[in-house]
Amino acid sequence: MNPPALPEPVFNVRNLGKTYGTGHAAVRALSGVDLDLRAGELVVLLGASGSGKSTLLNLLGGLDSPSEGELLYRGWDLGHANEDNLTRYRRDVVGFVFQFYNLIPSLTARENVGLITEIARNPMPPADALDLVGLTPRADHFPAQLSGGEQQRVAIARAIAKRPEVLLCDEPTGALDIKTGITVLEAVQRINRELGTLTVIITHNAVIADMADRVLTLYDGRIQNSRTNSTRRPVGELDW
Amino acid sequence: MSLLDLKLLRDLRALKSQAIAVALVMACGLTMMIMTRSLILSLETARNGYYERHRFADVFSSLKRAPASVAAQISTLPGVAAVETSVSMQVTLDIPGMAEPATGLINSLPERRDPALNRPFLRAGRLLAPAARNEALVSEAFSDAHRLRPGDSVSAILNGRKISLRIVGIVLSPQFVFEAPPGSALPDNRSFGVFWMREEALSEAFNLEGAFNTVALTLAPGASERAVIAGLDRVLEPYGSLGAYGRRDHPSDTRVTDEIGVLQGLSFGFPLVFLGVAAFMTHSVMSRQIALQREQIAILKAFGFTNRQIGLHFVKFTLVIVVAGTTFGALGGWLLGQKLVVMYHLFFRFPALDFQLASGALVAAVLASAFAALIGVLGAVRRVSALSPAEAMRPEPPASFRPAFFERIGLAKKFTVSLRMSLRNIERKPVQAFLTTVALALATGILIIPNSFRDGINHVLDFQWDVSQRQTVIMSLVEPGPTRALADFRALPGVVHAEPFRAVPVELRAGNRTRRLGVTGLPADGHLARVIDAHGHRITLPPQGVVLSKALADALALAPGDAVTLRVLQGKRPVREVRVSALAEDFAGVAAYMDMDALNRLLGEGDRINGARLSVAAGAWNAFLTAVKSTPQSAGVAIKEAARASFRKTTAESIGLIQTIYLVFATAVAFGIVYNSARISLSERSRELATLRVLGFTRGEVGGVLVGELVVLTIIAIPLGLVLGSYMAKAILTTVNTETVRLPLILTPANYAFAVLVVSIATTASALLACRKLNQLDLVGALKARD
Repeated sequence: MNPPALPEPVFNVRNLGKTYGTGHAAVRALSGVDLDLRAGELVVLLGASGSGKSTLLNLLGGLDSPSEGELLYRGWDLGHANEDNLTRYRRDVVGFVFQFYNLIPSLTARENVGLITEIARNPMPPADALDLVGLTPRADHFPAQLSGGEQQRVAIARAIAKRPEVLLCDEPTGALDIKTGITVLEAVQRINRELGTLTVIITHNAVIADMADRVLTLYDGRIQNSRTNSTRRPVGELDW
Repeated sequence: MSLLDLKLLRDLRALKSQAIAVALVMACGLTMMIMTRSLILSLETARNGYYERHRFADVFSSLKRAPASVAAQISTLPGVAAVETSVSMQVTLDIPGMAEPATGLINSLPERRDPALNRPFLRAGRLLAPAARNEALVSEAFSDAHRLRPGDSVSAILNGRKISLRIVGIVLSPQFVFEAPPGSALPDNRSFGVFWMREEALSEAFNLEGAFNTVALTLAPGASERAVIAGLDRVLEPYGSLGAYGRRDHPSDTRVTDEIGVLQGLSFGFPLVFLGVAAFMTHSVMSRQIALQREQIAILKAFGFTNRQIGLHFVKFTLVIVVAGTTFGALGGWLLGQKLVVMYHLFFRFPALDFQLASGALVAAVLASAFAALIGVLGAVRRVSALSPAEAMRPEPPASFRPAFFERIGLAKKFTVSLRMSLRNIERKPVQAFLTTVALALATGILIIPNSFRDGINHVLDFQWDVSQRQTVIMSLVEPGPTRALADFRALPGVVHAEPFRAVPVELRAGNRTRRLGVTGLPADGHLARVIDAHGHRITLPPQGVVLSKALADALALAPGDAVTLRVLQGKRPVREVRVSALAEDFAGVAAYMDMDALNRLLGEGDRINGARLSVAAGAWNAFLTAVKSTPQSAGVAIKEAARASFRKTTAESIGLIQTIYLVFATAVAFGIVYNSARISLSERSRELATLRVLGFTRGEVGGVLVGELVVLTIIAIPLGLVLGSYMAKAILTTVNTETVRLPLILTPANYAFAVLVVSIATTASALLACRKLNQLDLVGALKARD
């Protein structure tokens, strides 16, 4: 029996590098990264502070442009896109989840999600997105009335409501306790499974790696190690 | 320098555009305050010194004719220090190079000595030679208007005889600091000039040898002006006195005093508004700064800095702005004051009108702006003190929101998300929203004031020259003459229509209030001079009774239907009780009108006229002027278009300059307020806005969220500002208006439209500037930062 054909890569990354500053003040944050990321994959990035995880995530998310190398999104040259095209790309393709939620305090949970569905091309109704993260009963609460975990789930609902191809999570549980962290990761896992969204998660917590298809460990701006899990463990079964 | 001060400098550099905006608003207010206070000081100093050195009199009177010996009698009145008598006559002049005739007021100077009072100041040439017959001195304002130099000659008709006067000197006089034709509130230096001749030549020409018709005197220290005036009137009554008056009623001095009064009004109202705005701006900038530095403040406190030290740090922050604002304000006031002082030369002729910086005002300005700024920073500093270090080091809890009022009552179903964000933000910080709205309303309102002044002046001029006075020219007689003089005027070439008038000096008394003025008799059905009521309707003069100007009725506390005692100060001096039949609207001085026939009946001297208003055909204008110049019985010619042109050239330009200064300031402040509001909004919401950019919102969309709140507040503020501006204009006009000149409150749609336009442009431009800052948002940083 032939192994199932791998899906087309979403990202082709070749010899990617990023340097901040120039001359003596230059800091090489990322160098020589080669990577293909495919649809439906759940990838965890591990590494110490300053290892280049966030730089890689920012480049994939179109928040920053590389200094060298090639960065293709479905064959399109993301690495050399201009500001307007990057905005377009973030709007249509990427969902972001941040460590500190970054919700708009003056909008309710439903409206925070609705803000994005207003500008997206093919969004799901905000109520459906909130239902996916289990927040239907809290939909009309303002961020100040929600717990940290609830706020992060609103942020996830906001990120996935546009049906993004790519979901980028930067330390999504970094500000949460373990129990709340589990709920949040379960929501991420569910989205990845049910919507087939390519998901990249940055974490300091090695335990989380077991839920991934692939685990990349970065060190000093390079991919030091790449490991593929034979099976993904459900979040509920991780050893915390 | 302490490290805390170094931090201060660096923080200031980061906040420079906002600090500059606050300092500029402050500077605008202080410029106006220092400029106006300095002008007041300059005018007062110049006036007081001039009056003293040139012995300006305290009490004045005109009369028909009194023998010279009466002067001695006057000097024995209790309270009189010095007396000077003279002859003063109005004549028609023929000026080389001027088609139309001009009017001159010739005053006599004693034959072989300097006058005891009202001494002329010699600007150029020389004084009159003793016993000179055809020499004359001319006032500087008139000589400037006609480029007359010593050695030039002018022709004058003295009592029907045309003589040539050789100008030997150009002078100023404390009596004519403000030189306007008698009875006119506006200067007209082309058509009216003052001259001086030796007494003998002048009195001979008018058959007044050994007599005088004008008297001036000074009061002894401690003397009562009222008592002296009463005594002088008693002495002069048999000689046809027109009634004595003090400096308060002196036409020139009143104008100088009024101008100082106007400046006093302006030196307070405008700066108050501007400094209030500056205080508000300081408050919002500092509150934001302290909120941003919450954690820094906590660390400083944790390391042992006292509340006092930290509070002082932020107070210093504000004081730097105050020092910058005061420096610019003082510089601005000094420069503009010097420019305006030159302009005052057009109105007020002093030997020297030097600019004097009001140092007292400078101190007051520093104190006032420091006070305003400290009020602004106080609340913010108090919040710093209340913050405990541990609490301050924790991030601020997420701001709590709730649906806005409009949403709670179900009106917001169709509102966009960004509009909802704006409304909720406004409702969450009602005080800040209120203050921003007030500032924006002030920005709108202060734009109304200068333009309402301009419109008021235009209204007065249109009223004066188009609605009320419709003649081409007014011709007056040396003495009241028989009505057949009217036929002579009608016979002049080009005269289409002529209407006579009668003018007679009277005292009006109601209870214990009195006013002296000329009552004007007009034909009841005339249409060259029209008396207009407050609604703009023409008043037909009734066969009995008197029509008073509103200002006069107010001064005498009279209403239509009331009785007033009218005492004629001329001829048979009858005293009659008359009814006030209606009130007229006018804007300069005080006036009373009667039907001319009724007035002549009251005077009991038969049908007489003082002159006529003529309407002259344009085609015959030159022939008319040539004929007028040689009309012997005419004492004065007032040409409407000449007065209007002269006004446009001098007064209107100067008023235009002041109005422009105020308008520029108001516009600058409007921009400052709006820009500052937009910047603060940007600073408060930078993280939220960066998040939206990360989530794929375009710059335009994020800009919309940023300025949405400002736009909502601007829309609320503009109508409020228009109302506020109307009231401010009214309040400032009330402090500025006097009995001699009153500006009506004229608020035109164009004025409102201009204010709305400027504030809208300011809002748009500031919003664009703030939106440009959106490009500098740190997208990655926003993701890492905590709330």
